Amino acid sequence: MGLDILFKIAGVGILVSVFHTALKQAGKEDMAHLCTLAGFTVVLLWVVQLLGKLFNTVQDVFKLF
Amino acid sequence: MEIIQIVGLGFIVTLLILIIKREKPEIAVQLSLTLASIIFLLILTKITVVLNLFRDMAEKANISQMYLNTILKIIGIAYITEFGAQVCRDAGEGAIAGKIEFAGKVMVMVMAIPIIALVMDTIVRLIP
Repeated sequence: MGLDILFKIAGVGILVSVFHTALKQAGKEDMAHLCTLAGFTVVLLWVVQLLGKLFNTVQDVFKLF
Repeated sequence: MEIIQIVGLGFIVTLLILIIKREKPEIAVQLSLTLASIIFLLILTKITVVLNLFRDMAEKANISQMYLNTILKIIGIAYITEFGAQVCRDAGEGAIAGKIEFAGKVMVMVMAIPIIALVMDTIVRLIP
């Protein structure tokens, strides 16, 4: 099922850290931080969707209303 | 053999987290959160089968559905609480994890109140 999301998150993490280093070397500290924030937000969007699915499933299975 | 898949997945994600954690710890936490969700979603279909069996057995034994539903609710609350607390503790926030566990304990107590009241009623009726 959604195993590709794990590799997507890892890819975003590595990419963001590379961008961060590159932008820092170029002297653009604020841009580096914005880049980190953007990557974090994108990943958070995916994770929150998955968490919502998980909590809904748990509610269904254990009859937690 | 799904267990081999899950163990392999765990190893791969552990290695990925080791790579990412040095640069971006916040994304590493999200990665472990995702793995926990995926593993539970994979395993939930199995739990459903077992729970259906329990429900059938309770019906055959003439046990009220209320008791079984209460137990299931308590198990669900305990699972969700543990999940949240472990994620917080992994990220180094032991205090928040403690608060989540406290809230879970209180919720379990609240769920158990009808059964406790019933037990009390029975005892009072037994004592003349």
